[in-house]
Amino acid sequence: MTAAPGKSRASERNGGASDASAPPEADQRPSIAARLHRFMRRNPALVGMPALLVLVLAVTILVHPEFGAFDLQSLALGALPLAMAAAAQTVVVLSGGIDLSIGSLMAVSNVLAASTMQHASYQEALLLAVLILIAGAVQGALNGLIVVLSRIPDVVVTLTTGFIWGGVALLILEKPGGGAPEGFLNLATGTLCTDWLCSAWVPNALILLVTSVLLVWLPVRRTRIGLLIYAIGSDRIAAFRSGVNVELTRILAYVFGGLFSAIGGLALTMTTGIGAPLAGTYYTLSGLAAIVIGGVSLTGGRGGMLGPVIAALLLTLIPTDLIYLDIDPNYGQVIQGTLIVLVVMIGGFAAFLQSRK
Amino acid sequence: MKRSEKLAYLSLASVLCALAGAGAASAADKYVVGVSNTLIGNGWREEMICSIKAQAEASGIVSKVVVANRNGGPAEQIADLRNLISAGVNAIIVNPSDREALNPVIKQAATKGIVVVAVDQAVSAPEAYVLTNDQVAYGKVGATWLFEHLKGKGNVVEMRGIDGVPADADRHQGFTEALKNYPDIKVVASTFTGWALNKGAQQMKDLLASGKEIDGVWTSGIDSVVVDAFKTAQKSYVPVVGADNNGFVGQLINLKGDGFSGAAVTNPPSVGGAGLAVALDVLQKKDHPHLIKITPEVWDNTTDANLENLKKVYDAKLDPFYSIDFEVKPYTTYTMPQILACKGP
Repeated sequence: MTAAPGKSRASERNGGASDASAPPEADQRPSIAARLHRFMRRNPALVGMPALLVLVLAVTILVHPEFGAFDLQSLALGALPLAMAAAAQTVVVLSGGIDLSIGSLMAVSNVLAASTMQHASYQEALLLAVLILIAGAVQGALNGLIVVLSRIPDVVVTLTTGFIWGGVALLILEKPGGGAPEGFLNLATGTLCTDWLCSAWVPNALILLVTSVLLVWLPVRRTRIGLLIYAIGSDRIAAFRSGVNVELTRILAYVFGGLFSAIGGLALTMTTGIGAPLAGTYYTLSGLAAIVIGGVSLTGGRGGMLGPVIAALLLTLIPTDLIYLDIDPNYGQVIQGTLIVLVVMIGGFAAFLQSRK
Repeated sequence: MKRSEKLAYLSLASVLCALAGAGAASAADKYVVGVSNTLIGNGWREEMICSIKAQAEASGIVSKVVVANRNGGPAEQIADLRNLISAGVNAIIVNPSDREALNPVIKQAATKGIVVVAVDQAVSAPEAYVLTNDQVAYGKVGATWLFEHLKGKGNVVEMRGIDGVPADADRHQGFTEALKNYPDIKVVASTFTGWALNKGAQQMKDLLASGKEIDGVWTSGIDSVVVDAFKTAQKSYVPVVGADNNGFVGQLINLKGDGFSGAAVTNPPSVGGAGLAVALDVLQKKDHPHLIKITPEVWDNTTDANLENLKKVYDAKLDPFYSIDFEVKPYTTYTMPQILACKGP
């Protein structure tokens, strides 16, 4: 979705902020270089994040020249659940909301999968996975409904439903256990191998990551739903006055949040082979960290999906590099925090420069 | 004649040279050790990691200890273990977050010739070596000491840890097994302290205020605050079973004159260092069983000899919750200052 730096899409992504400069664009046809320059300036996350990933990967290979297929797979496996948590949070935050129940939603689908798939065949497991995805969407819808109907702030609602779903996860599976068929686990833990191509260099986890983000997000982003989500996140009142069904759109955003959370939970089942009722705990906050690093504005309406997903890869690489460099792992937290502050500061500085032009 | 003598000397010299060369080679042949832990900010776990570093230092054949240490579940631990494999370690000491989930990655490590030792908690992978404290025995030996000390008759309180945690369930099982042999011992209250000091202290205060007759207390390690509660309530001490925490051992020594008797049951965090010792042995082709259970010891203050032993390990300068059972014989070889320094090679 990022390969097409179309003008209209760039202004969409920036929500209301680019309205003022939009009309002159339509008249003149600026040179490709100028357009590219403007695209980069408007979407620092889209250009900056891949660049940062390449940089960190280069550093990783520098400190660990043996970096190979095994390590690429480690990276993809480690990043997969976090990327899904980040994707879930991204949709909700873009709509101007926040979801603090993502970790618990992941835990629910993780234990649901592990407890129901234990003695299932591969085909049954796939069917169960679909049902669990639907359950995740329903859970997200419930979050959204409560937020919209009760008019209680979303932070409070999702914090509370987070406790509830966390409890439900413990009720489904009180201690780590369960399982899933080998073929199902292989969807994440294996490497690409089809009839005509086998490569240890393409981990299934990476394919799963890319396809699930594209399959869910691309149709949303390319249609009205995506535009509406950006619109209500950018300026809820303006969107309402333009005839947007704000409440329904907010609920929809939570539905996609729930769906991505459910994929994240399934990813946890695939990567660990078990269900753990407390496994989701770490993903609510690290997912938030990933979206902030990924250039999604916490006030809503600004940002994209690529940034947070790459940020998930970055956040996975940090502990890896610390192990390669043999640095006290307690610095991992310090580095992660510093990175967030730096990225937010750079983002703020870029916005400041832009506003002076 | 002379020639053969010369030859003999030459051959002797060459043998010596070869020996010296082999010596130099083995000195250079040092191992890199990885550690994986997924609970940070926990005193017992920190001490476990320190014991691994101390044992690495003491062994003289470890060049580096790489620690992967963060809060997480099985997914994070799998990532850490994979990274340790990539970092080229020869052995991994892991405190596992799950019994089954790590098995595939442990198998991968084993196929690369890495020796994996699970300490504190078990994994079911057949490739791994498992070295744990026997928690059933922990419950049993402490409870038996208490019931024996009460001459098989009286009201006791059982103060457990966290509901649903394997170690707590195992200890309770041991406690119950011991109880079967003493029909006149009555458990008048059973609480979950959550292994939290403030909670345990409050529970004991409430129990004392309730007016229940209590003749003895078994705790799962929240010990010194329970003894303090008796002092605060101005009640006379009853026998208390605790863990090998520095503060509790101090009470066993210092409050003996006030009529306090009790026993510390050992649960050494130095299983970490012992795990490393086993790993290094295996790397040097020395055999060990795949399952090693460390039986807890009971340190009471009833005899003068036992009191002397307690005084030997007690260190007033240390934190009250530092586990002073700092070694696991015959595995660990480091000294107390080495584990306190917490520095690897």
